[in-house]
Amino acid sequence: MWRVSEALGRRGFLGMAGGAGLAAIAGCGADGGAAAQPKQGGRLRAVYAGGGAKEVLDPHVQSLFVDIARHKAIYEKLVELGPDLRPVGRLASTWEHDATATTWRFTLRDATFHDGAKLVADDVLYSLSRIVDPAVPERVAQSSLATLDLKRSKAIGASKVELVLTQPNAEFPALLAGIGTHIVRDGFKDPAKPVGTGAFRHVSFEAGRSLVASRYDGYWDEPARIEELHILSADSEARATAVQGGQAEYANDMTATFARTAEAGKTVRIVASKASTMQAFVMKVDRPPFDNPDVRLAFKLVADRQRLVDVVLAGRGEVGNDLFGKGYQYYPADLPQLERDVDRAKSLLAKAGLAGKEIEIFTADASAGFVEAATLFAEQVAEAGVRLKVTTGSPQTYAKDLLTKGAIGNHRSGAMPIPQYVTDRLLSHSPFNVTHWRRPVFDAAFAAARAVTSEAERSAKYGVLQKTVRDEGGILAWGLPDYLIAVSAKVQGVQAVPPNTLDQGRFDKVWLA
Amino acid sequence: MRSYAVQRAGLAVVQLAVLSVLVFVLTSLLPGDAAEMRFTETLTPSQVAALRAELGLDQPPAERFVHWLGNVLTGDLGTSLISGGPVADIVRDSIGATLVLTLTTLAVVVPLAVALGIVMGTRENGGLDRAITSVTLALSAIPDFVIAVVLVAVFALKLGWLPATWVGGDLLASPALLILPVGVLLGRTVCLLSRQVRAGTVAALNAEYVTQARRLGVPRRQLLLRHVLPNAAVPGVQELARTGDTLLGGVLVVEAIFAIPGFATALVDGVETRDVPTVQGLTLVLAVAALLINLGADLVCNRLVPRTEALR
Amino acid sequence: MSVLRGAAGWVAVALCVVPLAVAVLGPFLPYDARAGLPYSSEGLLGTDGLGRDVLGLLLVGGRTALGMAFGAVVMAYLVGGLVGLTAASTRHRWLDEAMMRPLDVLLPLPSLLVISVVAVGWQASAPAITVAVAMVNVPTVARLVRAAALDAASGPVVEALRMQRESWFTIQLGYVGRSVLGPVAADLGTRITLAVFLVASVNFLGLGLSPTAPDWAVSVSRNREGLLLQPWSVLAPALLLVSFTLGFNLLADRLVHRSRRLVGSPA
Repeated sequence: MWRVSEALGRRGFLGMAGGAGLAAIAGCGADGGAAAQPKQGGRLRAVYAGGGAKEVLDPHVQSLFVDIARHKAIYEKLVELGPDLRPVGRLASTWEHDATATTWRFTLRDATFHDGAKLVADDVLYSLSRIVDPAVPERVAQSSLATLDLKRSKAIGASKVELVLTQPNAEFPALLAGIGTHIVRDGFKDPAKPVGTGAFRHVSFEAGRSLVASRYDGYWDEPARIEELHILSADSEARATAVQGGQAEYANDMTATFARTAEAGKTVRIVASKASTMQAFVMKVDRPPFDNPDVRLAFKLVADRQRLVDVVLAGRGEVGNDLFGKGYQYYPADLPQLERDVDRAKSLLAKAGLAGKEIEIFTADASAGFVEAATLFAEQVAEAGVRLKVTTGSPQTYAKDLLTKGAIGNHRSGAMPIPQYVTDRLLSHSPFNVTHWRRPVFDAAFAAARAVTSEAERSAKYGVLQKTVRDEGGILAWGLPDYLIAVSAKVQGVQAVPPNTLDQGRFDKVWLA
Repeated sequence: MRSYAVQRAGLAVVQLAVLSVLVFVLTSLLPGDAAEMRFTETLTPSQVAALRAELGLDQPPAERFVHWLGNVLTGDLGTSLISGGPVADIVRDSIGATLVLTLTTLAVVVPLAVALGIVMGTRENGGLDRAITSVTLALSAIPDFVIAVVLVAVFALKLGWLPATWVGGDLLASPALLILPVGVLLGRTVCLLSRQVRAGTVAALNAEYVTQARRLGVPRRQLLLRHVLPNAAVPGVQELARTGDTLLGGVLVVEAIFAIPGFATALVDGVETRDVPTVQGLTLVLAVAALLINLGADLVCNRLVPRTEALR
Repeated sequence: MSVLRGAAGWVAVALCVVPLAVAVLGPFLPYDARAGLPYSSEGLLGTDGLGRDVLGLLLVGGRTALGMAFGAVVMAYLVGGLVGLTAASTRHRWLDEAMMRPLDVLLPLPSLLVISVVAVGWQASAPAITVAVAMVNVPTVARLVRAAALDAASGPVVEALRMQRESWFTIQLGYVGRSVLGPVAADLGTRITLAVFLVASVNFLGLGLSPTAPDWAVSVSRNREGLLLQPWSVLAPALLLVSFTLGFNLLADRLVHRSRRLVGSPA
């Protein structure tokens, strides 16, 4: 039987309409309650971390935050993620699935592309086939949509599309909200001429420098307030200087030190999305010394998480509890926080025969705070009688190197639904399994849980699996950094939500006072 | 003269060829390749492997180099492994900003340094000479990144008079963007250049033919312009060519601090992302430019002072 | 030492010696560096981005900042000097050409760029960067030594020595070698300053040493964002770097002038 899932429209989810409510929900810095009426017009310059020649205009090939921001302005997806990483309908207004969660029907919204054509089911089918085309391996969503059976998927009229999976997956809508899943026009061939359904139209693009876009008045949702949007690229220092010097109105992913400097001044405001990402040490559970569960536990006990947060995150974040996804849908409730216990760690390590021995931690300057965290952690581990030697590798290849090298290393994760995280990292065949956590029993339990259509039941099953990972796994999540955005005083409407969610970097909702 | 130029040109071609091979070998020796660099953690290892095949990175290095060489000889600099676009585009986009920076700096430095050098040289060991010498000596001893950090902190952040970065900036719309970066580049180049001009001036003033001309009563202005300046200019011109080295080095620091998407940054980025065709293309252009500058400097020196000693 | 005549001379020495002393002796000082919160005012000069005591970092940071530069210059002179001397002293033109021409190949490339490229390739490897800085200076040093040696080798003294059947070694290392020392000493100042700049620039750009290294240039770069919170984290290492290069330049300049005045005509 068909069961209709919750497909919350933007308005329904936020529970209000219009700008006045947005300011109240946002908690944007010093604004507090009294929100001004949104003003029309103006030019907003937003600056993100650049990627030079890696920056692309083709949304199916996106990999950087700056790409994600640019494509979000021009293109849209069927589904997006809410602040708790729950699926929210965008180009798909509602959806329903069969009893086994293998066949899904999405109803499309009444939207038009920038060239005037209406959004139809064939656009969706074309986009999906383009994404999974094996001849072009750089289409990023290929592996996450591997279970999509396009041959059996079809259009039902112009505004409904039926998608069939090769395996049951109750989380399918969330997959359609992942990176690189944007909907393009049927027959789209030239990425240099973007035509999307988003709130802005492409005007010009220079890789490594900027994207200029202008407001699209035919947007199916409320049209943007600003007239012109510039999304620029610059490194951390330059972003800070640009937003302070008035060369940009919005700067993404700022450091905690910058936040301190900015708050001392008056021109720049910080919008902080609390505890939205995760910083961890990852231990490989299939090689010594971390194949011994006592050693893993000992390391988790010896970590002074609060100090790591105070120093590496400059206090901007919460302590982690060795599990991904705090605050997201499916995170188990009442999980006791692991407290520091150096004595117990010492005895566990001695029992494992590691007292006085040396272990190497493999780190690199691949992400802010990696080397610093490793260095500080080494000092903490020393208190339990083990020497942790810090070795650095190449930042550009670190993510790949960590998959095979190093018994323990650093890991940072952005925001994504918990099942997505598990699929990417905690299954035997996961592509990014840095902890080498390979347990067929776990895989089977996860696949079974994912097929359960009742959310409550699914949540309970996920909870059990997560507790196992937390207790026995190799993830030492020590901190949950805040995600910091700097905006100039006249920018309003910026929401404090985790990255990769719908309302993050939502320039159609922003206005200049 | 003609055969000299031809000889130099021939030598230059050999140098370029050797350089190209060297750069290719060095970049290929670096760990990791462009396929891995393109997408960190968004592509699975099997996708990366497929991408590697698509980019042709699984071909033997010698084959790839010969292929590249063949393309270059027909004027095609190849395709970037990272952006997928022509390397020529990357060269064109990045060279603009760097050229504007270097040419503006030179346009300010040369007259300034020549004037200072002559002033110092004609008043050798006088009060003014000693004062300017001390200042230039002090300035040339400060690393450019320190000068840059101080200038930005004072003029851009504290006083707010000048823009701090080139982020989203349009040079035509706001030429003030040039002031701070050029200021930083000026620092050491003006010092080194003026000292060379000074040395040349002093040498020329003390030379036999000048004392002779003075005894013959040649007016001072004519003395300076016709007799002293050409000789004084020789070490200056040679230093100017060497300035290319300091400038292009300075440009890398300046481009990094002011977020200028220039040539030096493109080159270092290319190495970081293992974009071998881009690195080779940019190095080739750079080497050609440097060789031309050196050749030009030598020819100018030869014209100024037609002596065989002027040739290196 | 007439070079020290006058206050200016002593100032130059002080400027130069203080950072040198810090660099060389610093690591051995029993200074207890307390760890604190990032960019705080704890301790004499405050803390840096990781809460490490700034003064403690200063004491340890000179080793790489100055050590790599000195090491590179020594290497450059050893290799370049040898090449230049050999090229100058050989009877065979082709050997001379064969040794000097290949060095010209790298000349068109700007030093910082070459070193940055090497630094990117061999991440956080101080020896690699030192070797790269040395290699970048070898062509110039070789040319310099060769020119000076040629001058000496073609002079009457060497002719006389040869007629007296003195060995190749005595002639080369004894007389020619010593006469080369003059121009080398004159060049030393620029070369060391240049090396310090190159190493510092590479580290500043984050292409060289690890970002948490206590190196002075790395500190200047990494602590820029905290400039307004704890200025000493940037100013202290910057002042030490500048003090050294300034002092060294002044000293070297005075030495050159003194030697020029003694010898006669300007070089």
